[in-house]
Amino acid sequence: MTEKILALIEEILKVPEGTITIDTEACDIEEWDSLAHVMIIGELEDKLGISIPLDEAVEITSVRELLEKAGIQ
Amino acid sequence: MKIAVLSNVNMNVLIRLLGKETDMEVYEPEGYGNELGLLYDTDSSYYAFNPRITFMLMDLSEITGGETGIDVAAERVRVWFNQFSGALRPETVYYVSDAYLWGYGFEASGDYGIKRRLENIWMECLDRLLLKHDNVRVLPYAGMIRKMGEENAFSCKMWYMGKILLSNDAQKRLCSLIVHKAELEERIPKKILFLDLDNTLWGGLAGENDITPINLSDEHSGLAYKNLQRVLLQMQREGVLLGIVSKNNKEDAMDIIEKHPHMVLRPDAFAVKKINWESKDKNIAEACAELNIGVDSAVFFDDSPSERSLIKAMLPEVAVPDFPDRPEALADAMLEIYHTFFEKAFVTAEDMNKTRQYAQNTERRELLEKAESFDDYLKGLEMSLIREKPAASADRFLQLVNKTNQFNLTTRRYNSGELSEIFESASKRTFLYRVTDKFGDNGQVAALIADVSGEAPVIEEFAMSCRVMGRHIEHAIITDVERRLSEEGFLRLKGIYIPTAKNAPVAGLYDELGYKKNRELSDGGAEYEIEIAKAPKRVYYVNII
Repeated sequence: MTEKILALIEEILKVPEGTITIDTEACDIEEWDSLAHVMIIGELEDKLGISIPLDEAVEITSVRELLEKAGIQ
Repeated sequence: MKIAVLSNVNMNVLIRLLGKETDMEVYEPEGYGNELGLLYDTDSSYYAFNPRITFMLMDLSEITGGETGIDVAAERVRVWFNQFSGALRPETVYYVSDAYLWGYGFEASGDYGIKRRLENIWMECLDRLLLKHDNVRVLPYAGMIRKMGEENAFSCKMWYMGKILLSNDAQKRLCSLIVHKAELEERIPKKILFLDLDNTLWGGLAGENDITPINLSDEHSGLAYKNLQRVLLQMQREGVLLGIVSKNNKEDAMDIIEKHPHMVLRPDAFAVKKINWESKDKNIAEACAELNIGVDSAVFFDDSPSERSLIKAMLPEVAVPDFPDRPEALADAMLEIYHTFFEKAFVTAEDMNKTRQYAQNTERRELLEKAESFDDYLKGLEMSLIREKPAASADRFLQLVNKTNQFNLTTRRYNSGELSEIFESASKRTFLYRVTDKFGDNGQVAALIADVSGEAPVIEEFAMSCRVMGRHIEHAIITDVERRLSEEGFLRLKGIYIPTAKNAPVAGLYDELGYKKNRELSDGGAEYEIEIAKAPKRVYYVNII
């Protein structure tokens, strides 16, 4: 599932494969702005069925945190 | 091309997509929901950007404020349209989304008609706007949502987090739809679709009905052929000319077209019929010549791969799309052909009558074949020239000056805003002519703009449809224009010819009309002049009304 999530984030951000890893911080990726963030959370739910509660979703700043909130790690 | 997308919900993902994935320049508004504010503020960044097309993607539920009471909601829609129509500018083309109402309040309602009624109010307002403004068109947004389904098109999470209404997939689709509509504004559509008969319009072979009847019915693959014909009939009604090129015995084929109970396309649906044993490239070239259409305006649809490759080799200007391998794919394939080659940004009343007008041309040609001389033929046509109000048919006027290539003296192009200014200007005179003859109405076929700011007026644009070329109508038109202008007190008239790759047929027009060349122009063109009182007697057999 982790790979699927990383691939989905890469697709939304339109960055090359392998750019996003578990250690990626949102602020290190230029394309990962607030708009992209909303898209990532929305697509996780729509495409992969992963629902992160709204209030927590806004606070996420890294991939590791995202995986935690998604209950993957 | 420069475009803008304005919305009352967050469309930034779409705007980003358009900017990244296409070569269009896309306006980036600050935020969203201030679409009317931007349109009203002439100092806004929107006007500084100056887009050619503005797409208004309006979420109906936001406009009604989620109100489910019909009267209150309807009033809010009307207010929005009143404000929007007040902000329209003639030089911009606007696409307004049609209505798709999505909101939680409605889901709890036992009145299933309420959504539809609210959507209808939006559509009625939009229809009224379309009638009043020829630069407003519909963006078929609701159809897109319906095809995708609400669950795929909308995203609740993104809506709550950032007022992003549409899912990633829906934004991608909307992006393609906008690109397609923007392309339609620029491209010149094809004019005629040449169709084979056997295994194309119907299954099986004509003329072998003692062995097997042709396959065309209300069931199975027979219905697939019938549905193809239904698509074709609608295309024909919107101005696409249909032609038959088929290797068959004419009587066998016509028997089916006239009498088969499931034929949707009857003989009068076709502008030209080439049913014979000649090679198809020859038939297509001949048909185009008869209709006065360039072969580069033709598309060829035939089930036979060898006929398709023959046309590709012999007439490379003709577009030859692939033929689907199963009858059930025919109607979809034809819709694809329609969107790719024939769809227009807007359809004029002229377009609707096209086939009839071209078919009448066939009757005119038969008269020509019987006539003893060309003059004899022209007399026999009993033509009349009728001057009409240009401003009342602005869309046709625009079409004539912008789409005519052969009979176009200066090939200047205008947008609808420039044209409205010309119509209202005191220093311009515009002329629009309809031609009728004993076979019927040829429609509005010629448009002319004269600049009267100087001592001698200058004809700065003169375009005539190739449909009526070669009938000395231009002699009657110029004579009429000279009369109108001399009534205003002008004694001399000037004309301009600027050569292009396509307008050689009118290179000698002013000489022929008795004008003298004044001077060469820097762009390769020339200015001609005449003293109206000394105009020679011109030969034409047209009754000027």
